[in-house]
Amino acid sequence: MQKSFVIKRILYAIFIFFVVLTLNFFIPRLGVDDPAERYYPPQGNMSDIEYEIIKQVTREQYGFDVSTFKQYTNYVEGLLRFDLGTSFRTGNPKVSTLIAERLPWTLVLSVSNLVISLCIGLIFGTVAAWKRGRWQDSLLLNLSTISVALPAFFIALILSFYFGFELELFPAYTNPNMVSQFDWSWEAIKVVFYNAALPIISMSIGGIIGYSQRTRNSVIAVTNEEFVLTARAKGLSQNKVLFKHTLRNAMLPIVTAVGMSLSGLIGGAVIIEQIFNWNGMGTLFLEANNTNDYPLMMGIMLFMSTIAILANLIVELTYSLLDPRITVGEKR
Amino acid sequence: MLKKIMSLTLIFISLFLVGCSSNEYERRDDASNTLYVGSVGASFPTSFMPWLSRDGIAPTIASMVYNTLFSYDDQTGEFVESIGKEWYYVSPEGEPILTTEGKIDYDELEEVYSGSEESYLVVKIIIHDDIFWHDGEKLTVEDIYYTFDIGTNNALSNHAGSLAWTADLQHSYSNGVMTKQGIFTYDHGANERGYEITEEEKDTVMYLHVNKVLGAITSLFSTILILPEHIWKPIVTVDNQLNSKNPSEETLYQYQNPVGSGGYKLDPENSNAQVITLVRNDDYHLKDGLDYLYKVEKIKFMLFQEQNVAIYALLKGHIDILDSTVSSNYLSLFEDREDIYVSNADGIFTQTLVINLNPATSEKNDLRDLLGISDFRRAIALAINQEELVSFVLNGAGKTVSAGLLSESLTDFYNPDADILRFDLEERITEANLLLDNIVPEKDSEGYRLLDGNRIKYTILGTPGEQDVISRLQVQLQRIGIEVEYKAKGSSPERTYIFNSKFDMTLQGVIFSLENADIMYRAHFVTLSQSSNYGRLTDSLLSSKINEMRLSLNLNYKYELLQEIQELIALNYYKIPLYTSNIISVARTDRYEGYVVVEGSTIFNTDTLQNLRRVEG
Repeated sequence: MQKSFVIKRILYAIFIFFVVLTLNFFIPRLGVDDPAERYYPPQGNMSDIEYEIIKQVTREQYGFDVSTFKQYTNYVEGLLRFDLGTSFRTGNPKVSTLIAERLPWTLVLSVSNLVISLCIGLIFGTVAAWKRGRWQDSLLLNLSTISVALPAFFIALILSFYFGFELELFPAYTNPNMVSQFDWSWEAIKVVFYNAALPIISMSIGGIIGYSQRTRNSVIAVTNEEFVLTARAKGLSQNKVLFKHTLRNAMLPIVTAVGMSLSGLIGGAVIIEQIFNWNGMGTLFLEANNTNDYPLMMGIMLFMSTIAILANLIVELTYSLLDPRITVGEKR
Repeated sequence: MLKKIMSLTLIFISLFLVGCSSNEYERRDDASNTLYVGSVGASFPTSFMPWLSRDGIAPTIASMVYNTLFSYDDQTGEFVESIGKEWYYVSPEGEPILTTEGKIDYDELEEVYSGSEESYLVVKIIIHDDIFWHDGEKLTVEDIYYTFDIGTNNALSNHAGSLAWTADLQHSYSNGVMTKQGIFTYDHGANERGYEITEEEKDTVMYLHVNKVLGAITSLFSTILILPEHIWKPIVTVDNQLNSKNPSEETLYQYQNPVGSGGYKLDPENSNAQVITLVRNDDYHLKDGLDYLYKVEKIKFMLFQEQNVAIYALLKGHIDILDSTVSSNYLSLFEDREDIYVSNADGIFTQTLVINLNPATSEKNDLRDLLGISDFRRAIALAINQEELVSFVLNGAGKTVSAGLLSESLTDFYNPDADILRFDLEERITEANLLLDNIVPEKDSEGYRLLDGNRIKYTILGTPGEQDVISRLQVQLQRIGIEVEYKAKGSSPERTYIFNSKFDMTLQGVIFSLENADIMYRAHFVTLSQSSNYGRLTDSLLSSKINEMRLSLNLNYKYELLQEIQELIALNYYKIPLYTSNIISVARTDRYEGYVVVEGSTIFNTDTLQNLRRVEG
């Protein structure tokens, strides 16, 4: 891997970060006139002077009492100190604290979803490719069609109502004391996964089918390669041909796909979290949006964007490391 | 490799399965007097400072943990005792202005103060002498002094809301220095000012100077939740304001462990962002005879972020009651369910069609000029069929509203003469068409009226949820040859369309009551700049009546004016009533009985809490 390539990718990532940061600052402000008026609409019992004092107090309180440019530089200065600002909610907690509280719970869902989707997807995809044209393959194709028509939130509602409310196999919604009573004991971990079951299943169905299809297509492509034919010709067993030669070589596109999906890990699944009362990043973003908590909204968006930029950077660098023929965006 | 993949998969699946145990829906086996309340929202607050608690369930919790001086009864227009036991106006010399029956003598009030040079009214307040904060400290008038005083001093409170609420109190600060004193207690200069308070009365009597309008006391009495001085005074400073951006640890602790004087106490140990537990304050000073005022010992609020899930939780017995309105579309779910109580309370929120009758000069055009013609607007008003809207849009769960926009349930103040749009629909349509024939007689082949050869067509700003009502209006106005269509108002309609007059018509919900009359009538019909007067109505007679009503010191005359104002509002055909939707809410009956339906409220209301009884067994 060329050093200049790495430096260019890093500089490009930094540039993108600043573009995102700037958009992240200005876009929420496009929709807001005077935030003071939003919080305290004009009231008939006050004189204009009294109302102006009230608006000024609100502006000072929320940091809107200086020019937009100054607000921007204050914001950037804060970020350089890793300060994402303070939320408008009572007690004015730090945005970074709120994110840190919610992130682990979203990771429980998203990492579990990734692992399950990947593992089961690999198995299903390999079987479908190996049994190409037979019922296993047809089943996967049909499931793919159905999964496109069934969005995850719909599946979540069905699972919640049927397996949660009707059959009571799993909690229909998260135990309200799960987070506050979590103490890293085995019992607490069991409770977390028990409560996470339906959200993870809701999220995984689409993921499993997606990875299955990707694996199937990749395995089929590799199966026709000469080295696989040679392996067969050498008289190797089916299993050896499949796992030692085919699957290993078919993994590269899957690894790329996993890398790309890392950026979505912390965003949470807003609707899924909402349906199951899961206290994660998705619901935090919803709360911020519902309460016009701009610092929190900006903090979450920036955090998510930063992770996405970093994930892309890592994937690009790793990709070129794994396959030296690839130097993305480089002119030879 | 397959083995590795399968092992990993099995580990994850087994993690779910080992977690499996019987579901623990606490309510089902709870034999105690605990009410489980489902609340739909994004999250529960974990900090409670009553003045800052604006969103979601926070105001409900704050109002149960803290108290105001009085509460307001909209039906009677009277203040009901809470912390305060009694109040009345006194003369500038401190003499009570009361009738022989002990009621406020408004004629005398007008007489005393109309000629007075003073710019304020003096109010005497007597509070209960047996109120204790949740930590056992006695509540005295010094707590009320502290609350109102810090509310006006933004060097210490930095809270815009409290400045608004106390705007009519003649007590002010400038940069932390008191510039005018308008609150007087035994310890704060009452006797020196000439308002006699004896040693025995020092904890219970105080005086206020308020602006010379009857509405000046409203927010002071019924909005501001009273704070404990002994908790906040030691920790609130200029550097650590009541609403500091960087609250000290001690301040945060107080936010999270509120000490109020209300009928319920917060149980912080059993509260978090998903559940809030309130425990009855058995020392609460207000009683129901010898019994507790509130019959429910413990209330557990459970958060649901999705309404469908909350409704199912109720149906399946996970909660007793749902503290949110339910759309009438759900009513069939509860039919034939003996264990479900459906409350269909009258609403107080009136949906109106607002006409942009006086756009800013830059937004004027020929079509909008038509909207400025009173007969044109009357024709539109006559064509609107409220009964049909109630039937089709609200599935019957609502009622029609007078053109005077005041609810008929306010029997003493409602003026039937303002109800000028309620007569036979066919007669109304005939009259509307006659009016329009005089203004815009030409029609196209489809029966729509033409202006300079072009079809008369308006847009109505609305949310996606309001498309239903706008499509009905489309059909109704078609009968008088006027075409309307839906236009999405977006997330910031005031900035985008309304305050700069860039709209023809829009939907607007209004609530006019006796409590808010002083503020709302002016905001909706007088103020031109960035107010609720979206269509910028300028009616000098209506404006002067509203101002007269606000400034009148004679309550009886004020009520007379309110009746006149209703008629003037109706005759403007500016905010045309569409309907008032009912408030539908649901509760289970297997653990509790005695739910009380209250106008404008869900089934989870104060009256219900005072009346609920645990079903035995």
